[in-house]
Amino acid sequence: MVFLTIANLIRCRGPDEFWRKRKIFRLAAHYIGRRRNCYSVAVRNVHHALVYATKARRLKKQDMKDLWDTRISAACEQHNITAFSMREGLERSNILLDRKSLSDLAAWEPKTFQCLAAVASRKLHLDGFIDGTDQKAPTGKNLNLDNVILDDWLKEKK
Amino acid sequence: MAFIRRYLPLVTGGFKNVYIGGQRKEIHRYVAPTLMVLKRREDKQGGKVIKPRNTFLEWNLEAEMYAFGKRLNENFDPDLLLQAFTDRSYVIKEEMKQKEMEFDIQMKDNRNLAEEGRKFMKQYIQLYLEAALPKFPIEGINGICDHLMSENVLANVSLHLGTKDIILADEYPVDNTTLANAFVAIVGALLHSSGEEQTAHFVRDFVITNLQGQDVNEFWHIEEPWIMLTDLIAKTGSNLEPRLIGEVGKNTLLACYRVGLYLDKKMLSSGFGETIATAKEMAAREALKKIFGTEENQYPINFKLNGIPKSSSKSRYQVSAS
Amino acid sequence: MSAAKRVQQWATFARTWHIFDCKWQDPYLSANVIKKYLMGMHKPIYHPMNDCGDVVVCINSRDIALRGDDWRQRAYFHHTGYPGGASWTLAWEVHNKDPTMIIKKAVYRSMKGNLQRRHTMQRMLIYPGEEVPEDIMQNVTNQIRQLRPVPTRLDHIPEDEVKKYPKVMEYPEDYVLK
Repeated sequence: MVFLTIANLIRCRGPDEFWRKRKIFRLAAHYIGRRRNCYSVAVRNVHHALVYATKARRLKKQDMKDLWDTRISAACEQHNITAFSMREGLERSNILLDRKSLSDLAAWEPKTFQCLAAVASRKLHLDGFIDGTDQKAPTGKNLNLDNVILDDWLKEKK
Repeated sequence: MAFIRRYLPLVTGGFKNVYIGGQRKEIHRYVAPTLMVLKRREDKQGGKVIKPRNTFLEWNLEAEMYAFGKRLNENFDPDLLLQAFTDRSYVIKEEMKQKEMEFDIQMKDNRNLAEEGRKFMKQYIQLYLEAALPKFPIEGINGICDHLMSENVLANVSLHLGTKDIILADEYPVDNTTLANAFVAIVGALLHSSGEEQTAHFVRDFVITNLQGQDVNEFWHIEEPWIMLTDLIAKTGSNLEPRLIGEVGKNTLLACYRVGLYLDKKMLSSGFGETIATAKEMAAREALKKIFGTEENQYPINFKLNGIPKSSSKSRYQVSAS
Repeated sequence: MSAAKRVQQWATFARTWHIFDCKWQDPYLSANVIKKYLMGMHKPIYHPMNDCGDVVVCINSRDIALRGDDWRQRAYFHHTGYPGGASWTLAWEVHNKDPTMIIKKAVYRSMKGNLQRRHTMQRMLIYPGEEVPEDIMQNVTNQIRQLRPVPTRLDHIPEDEVKKYPKVMEYPEDYVLK
């Protein structure tokens, strides 16, 4: 077998480095100084940036969860219930709202949140659950919860 | 040199455009310098020269207009539609050319159609809004109508319907006035072709829906809300009382006051403000919104009313009449 | 932005002025409560970048009550920055020099050590006694509940109430009360 193309390939140059370096420079366009213009400086910074972005995806979820928790506990405090009781009461009432929805409701729909807190505390009261830290009565005392709480729960014994 | 090289547009020319197990696609070495030269020439010219679509090779005006009609599910009379797309400037240009050529083909422009379309649109929009917002006064409805018939809104609608390339005008790109005129002329053409109800539905679906998500009160600026409110309440003969409900940081720059309006001892509305006067004014505005039925938590405007609503016989509140 | 939206935002982020009476309270426990109001963590719109903190005015900081033997044993550290500038000062000495320092340090310590801490501390105003300047008192609209209930001192009860209160027995004339 005769390989003719190998002789040709010996003289062929590599691909144009322009395109490989351009991929890095496009990510470094908003940097300052040499980090934006010089390849060897830019490539280090871009690699660090990508590593930070990868690690931060997990941290962002944690940060958002903490923020939602803070907001929910602040709103719960306004209605004289602890965040723990609220979560327990809602879970037992089969209202499976996650932290994100609860914090959005607390900020944008305060009356809805008050109703949810009242439902949670009423359910815990029916179950005979005592949380030592709730010293004051819940705020939604005058709300009519008969439409919301099923008769089955009233008859349930835990 | 590298600085310029970097900002060339991304081009996928090269030996292989297909990913063959393990090998990357490679771009020829002449691509980057070629693009650089092109960019330099473009900058010398002063930017990209955008030629209109109808100067390209496979342009068939009749087909485009037919497709335009079919896209919108409407039946247009072809002559009327062509007339609607022809702008006055184009007709003038054609006549100048024809004088040199010495033959005479009359091209009608869209001014008449535009006038008819505008008249119909204004009438229909007013009737529709009166039906959709029963308690809103006439000034408010006029304000919304003016906004919907304004050049910017109509030009935006017409641009997204695809009239930009079909319009026959003397300069390209077409400016807002021409776009708006063309749209209104299309409405006129549709009026003659399909009748009032079809045109009404067309206007409802493309123009009135621009109110989606907008606060209807923004289009009508009330100068003296307190005086208007007291006039309204005086007719019913109840007692209106403003009271300071809350205040925060009285001596600071970030002071905030809350004033509540009480109608016969029952709360009507409340407003916040940096000073007591602002708060009172905002409370009056909120009360007016409640009376006119255009609060934030009301149902949104119904965009599904069919046919042309009849004007209601019930007298509507008119500010200037009082 | 329309006027209604602008005014709604103004009201949402308005800064409330709270007042807290430090009389006979534990500074470190009350610091946890005060820091919540200073940082804005009592609002459902909280965000660290939001500048949603409120102003807290602390009065009667001279009557603060430290636990157990802390007045004698707790020492506060200070370094001037120069060599040999380290000093440990006992709580009672600090309190004599400046009655507002202890509660201020307690709140400072309870916050997280980030760049916002100094800015947030500026929102706290501390007064050793009951006298607060008139213009600040006019801004205050809310009182924060104290953690420990403050009982009335027996010698502060008005005389006529003492006389009215039913007695079980009368002391004999020559009985000596210590």
